[in-house]
Amino acid sequence: MEKITIKARGAIKGIAEGEALVCPESIQGWAGVDDHTGNIIEKGHSQEGKCINDKILILPCSKGSNGWSCHFHSAQVKGKMPAGWVFTKMDSRAGVAAVVIDVPMVADFEDVDPCEVIETGDWVKVNGNTGEVEITKKNS
Amino acid sequence: MVRLTDYEKKMLNGEMGEFKQTALKNIVKYAEALGAEELCEVSKATLYFGAHPYLDVVDSDDYNDIFSKMYLCSDKTVNIDEFSNTCYCQTCVAPCDQYVYEPLNLTKEFFNKNNKFLEITKEAGVSITGSCTPYLIGWLPLRGEHFVTTESSNVIFCNSVLGACGNSDGIEAAAWSAICGRTPKWGNHIMENRKGTHVFEIECPSKTAIDWDVIGYTVGRLLPPHAVPIIDGNFNRPNLIKLKQCFASLATTSGAEMCHIIGITPESITLDMATGGDEPVGVIKITDEEYNKSFDMLCDKGCEDVQFVTLGCPHYTLEEIRDAALYIKGKKVKKDVLFMIWTDYATKEMASVNGYTKIVEEAGGHILTSGCPLVIGHKCHEGVKGMAMDGAKQAHYIRSETDATVYYGNMYKCIDAAITGKWEA
Repeated sequence: MEKITIKARGAIKGIAEGEALVCPESIQGWAGVDDHTGNIIEKGHSQEGKCINDKILILPCSKGSNGWSCHFHSAQVKGKMPAGWVFTKMDSRAGVAAVVIDVPMVADFEDVDPCEVIETGDWVKVNGNTGEVEITKKNS
Repeated sequence: MVRLTDYEKKMLNGEMGEFKQTALKNIVKYAEALGAEELCEVSKATLYFGAHPYLDVVDSDDYNDIFSKMYLCSDKTVNIDEFSNTCYCQTCVAPCDQYVYEPLNLTKEFFNKNNKFLEITKEAGVSITGSCTPYLIGWLPLRGEHFVTTESSNVIFCNSVLGACGNSDGIEAAAWSAICGRTPKWGNHIMENRKGTHVFEIECPSKTAIDWDVIGYTVGRLLPPHAVPIIDGNFNRPNLIKLKQCFASLATTSGAEMCHIIGITPESITLDMATGGDEPVGVIKITDEEYNKSFDMLCDKGCEDVQFVTLGCPHYTLEEIRDAALYIKGKKVKKDVLFMIWTDYATKEMASVNGYTKIVEEAGGHILTSGCPLVIGHKCHEGVKGMAMDGAKQAHYIRSETDATVYYGNMYKCIDAAITGKWEA
C-alpha cells in the first residue's frame, strides 16, 4: 500500500480518518451543502450530489457567503458531518467552521497542495495534534 | 497560544456572566484555529438573527435553546443576555418582510415567530434593521475600525471602500464577537495582509450596474484561492450602486474579502499602492468572451413565461427604487406574476414619502423589506416555472433551490418581463 505523509499546522486537535472527498473548487457557503442531508447541492460542482458525512474534506479554501460555517453546522445537527478536514491554506470562514464542527483539521501547507496530492477515494488520516496527514492511495 | 488582556481573562473566567464567557471561549478557539496571537476590539456588527430556515434543524421552539445550539455552539442552554456595550449591533437580512407575509406565501405563525426572535435579540442589544447593505442606512465603520458582519458583500465594501477592517468569519463568529466585543486579530485586521495580489485588466463593458455585477462574478470565477483582486484597465468609473453589485457577485464566486479598484478605493490610488510596491502575482484579462461566459452562466436561454420577478440583490437604494418606479408608472404587472423590489424598511419609508411605493403598488407590484427570496428560501417561489432577476448573486445561488428557468438582466428587462409575463431575450 502506497502511503504518503504531508505535514502542515494542526488547527483543531484530534485524530480522524476516512475516505477523502477532494473539492479543488472548494464548496460555496450559500446553497453549497444541504442543511438536512449534508449533500453537496452546488450546481455544477465536481462532487454535486455527494454527501460530506464521515468524509475527510480536502479543500483549498472556503468561498461564497459568510454563511459558510452555518450550513455545515445545520447538517451536523442532523447527524451529517465530515470526520475531519484538510485546507491548503486557512481563511476566516474555514476557521469558524473548524470551531463550529470541532473535528480534526490541518491547514496552511507551504510546499505541497493537498488538493493535488490527495484524490477522492484515498484513505486519509488527519492528525490535528501533529499536523500530519497520512494518505493511503486508493489505487495502490 | 493567544495572548489575552486582563479584561479578556476576566471575561473568560466567567466574571462577566456565562453568555459572554461562552462567546469568548469560542473566539479564543477560533483565534487558535487561525493561528492568531491576540484579539482586537470590535465596534460594529451586523448579525443574522431571526427565524431563518437553517435553524429548523433544532428540535425546539425555545429561542434560548436554538441560540445556544446554533450560535453559541453549546449543547447546554445558555440564556441570552446582554451583547457587548462597546459594539453597536444591528440585524442583517431576515427570512420575512418586516410588515407583510401574505405575498411571500408565508404564514402568520411564521411571521410572528420571526418577529418574536428579533424582539428577543433587540432586548439584548441588537437593533432590528433587516439590511444586507447597512452602509446605505448609517452603519459605516471608518478607516481602521474593526467590524464583523454576516453579509459577504458588506465585508468587501467596508474593507475596500471604507478602509475598515473585517473578515468574512461566519454567522456564529459574528455573534460571538458582538457578544464579547472581540475578534481574532488576523487577516484583514492586520494592514499588511490587505495588499492586492492579482491584477484584473478590464477589457469588457463597464458602463452599467449589470456590467459591474458581471465583472464581479467574472473576477471571482478567475480569482485563485486566497488571492486579493485589483481591478485595473480601461474601465468606466463605477459609482456606489455599481460597486454594490460588483462586490456581491465577487463574494459569490470567490472567497474575496477585499477588492482594490485603481483610482477608486482609498488603499489603491495607484497600482503600486495596491500591491504595496510588490510585483503582482498574476495578471488576468477580463475580456468580452469571459464577460459573455459569465452572462450565459447567469441567464438561461430562451423566452419562456415568468411568474416571479425580483429586483434588489443586494437591496435597492432609493435611487434604484426611483428609477424602477418611474419606469413602471402607468403600466400593469401581468396577472399571476409576483413582482418585488427588495430594500430595507428605512429606504422603503423614503420611497413612500416620495410616492414611489404607491406607483409600484398601483402597477400591481410590491416594495418589500428586510429580506429577499434567497433568505426566505423555496417557500416563496414554490411552483414557479420561470423567474427573472437583476442580481447575479441571486441568479447564481437560487439555481440550487429551484428547478425553474432563471433569467438575469437589467432592471428594465425584468420590469418588462413582469408586465408581459414573458422574458424577451
